[in-house]
This record gives sequence, C-alpha cells and structure tokens, in this order.
Amino acid sequence: MTLTRTHAFALLLLAAGALAAGGCATVQPWQRGRLADRRMMFDPDDAEVAYMTHWQEAREASSGGYGVQSGGCGCK
Amino acid sequence: MAMNRVASLLVVAALVVLAPGWTAGASSTHTPDVVLQQADGTPVPLAAYEGKVLLIDFWASWCIPCKTSFPALDAIFREYKARGLEVLAVNLDEQRRQADAFLSAHPHQMPVLFDPKGAAPLAFGVKGMPTSFLIDKTGTIRFTHMGYSGNVDARYRQEIAQLLSEK
Repeated sequence: MTLTRTHAFALLLLAAGALAAGGCATVQPWQRGRLADRRMMFDPDDAEVAYMTHWQEAREASSGGYGVQSGGCGCK
Repeated sequence: MAMNRVASLLVVAALVVLAPGWTAGASSTHTPDVVLQQADGTPVPLAAYEGKVLLIDFWASWCIPCKTSFPALDAIFREYKARGLEVLAVNLDEQRRQADAFLSAHPHQMPVLFDPKGAAPLAFGVKGMPTSFLIDKTGTIRFTHMGYSGNVDARYRQEIAQLLSEK
C-alpha cells in the first residue's frame, strides 16, 4: 500500500497532536494543594448553597436537580 | 515507500514523547535511597534508619484524611517507640507556612520531615494522599496504606507488631 499525500498530511497532523499532548503535565497526588483549596470549589460556602437552592425552589416551584438521589419518581 | 518510512518514524516519535507520562511513579519493594529535610533544612537520609522498623507517612496540610491520620499515627508512635518503632511524618506541602500552621494546630511527638520538591513520594510511587509505608529491618517495604480511615488502626498495630518481632 502506498501512502497518498492526504494520508501523509493526516499522519503529520496526528503526530503534531501527539507532540502537543506531550506538553500535558502529570499532576502528582502531592501537587494538588492548590486544586484542593476551598477557593477552587464551585460552591465553597455550604450555607450560601442551601440558601440559594431554597430561594430557587421557592420561586421556580420545583426542586432537585442538584444531585438529589431518588428512584426517579420525581419525589424527593 | 519513503512516505511509509516517514510515517513510521512519526508514530515512534509520538510514542517516545508520550511514554514518560505513563512510566512516572514506578515503585520498588526496597526502600528508595532518598534524602529528606528537618524543619531547619538539615538533610536526613533514609538510609540512616536501616536496621529499624520504620513507618513513613506522606501527608499534606490540605489533605482532608491527613487531619485524622496524623494524630492516629502519632498515637501509634507514642505506643510503639519504646519497642523500637521509628515513625517519620513527611510533609509534602509546597508552601511551608501551611505545614507550620497545621503542625501548630496538631501537637505531636513523632518526627516531622519535609520534602517540598516531592522527590521522596515519586521514588516511593505514592498514588494518593496520605500514603504510608511500613518498612522492615532489612529495608524492604512490607505494607502500604493509601488513604486513611479509623478502621485500619488495628491492622497497623498488627503489622507493626509483626515487623518488630522479626529479627
């Protein structure tokens, strides 16, 4: 099988992607101090989340959708 | 034909570039020859503990289970130090002040060493925080514990007693 110019170009792109991926750093378990910081959390304040959820539920007449576990019946 | 050769070379080059990411963190069963630091920067080679039963624990101030494991391992140290157990709590915080704040909030007797560059956990092949290794008198890593829950306390004691009883 001979390689066409298109195939060669595709392979070149693949190789370039692989080379770029080599720049991805492996974050070791002991290097996760900054990632574990409270400021890196989406919702660092539990009280605020509870308040906002309650506020939203009251105004939208619906609840759940925040990881609430149920059997799928729609009841809480 | 020349194109095929170029393609093969490109694939090999890509594998060579990606391979280091897969091989990092390999561990051996013998204690790696690493050097840790005391609080004042004095080097402490792990080889100095040869011939002793050693419990080495890698922890950091930001690691949630470490808040429980640190005092638990300190209790184990106080219980077994008279029988010859050595415990080293190796802090891996990148910022020293965070470690100092943790240590002042957690009174302890066990020696705390530091490795902010993380050379020791890499040599040991640490996969999660906290991780502790129990090393026997011949320098062989015999038991490894990753993570911490109070349920493993009894197992620690059983393993330590076993290693201490060996000649």
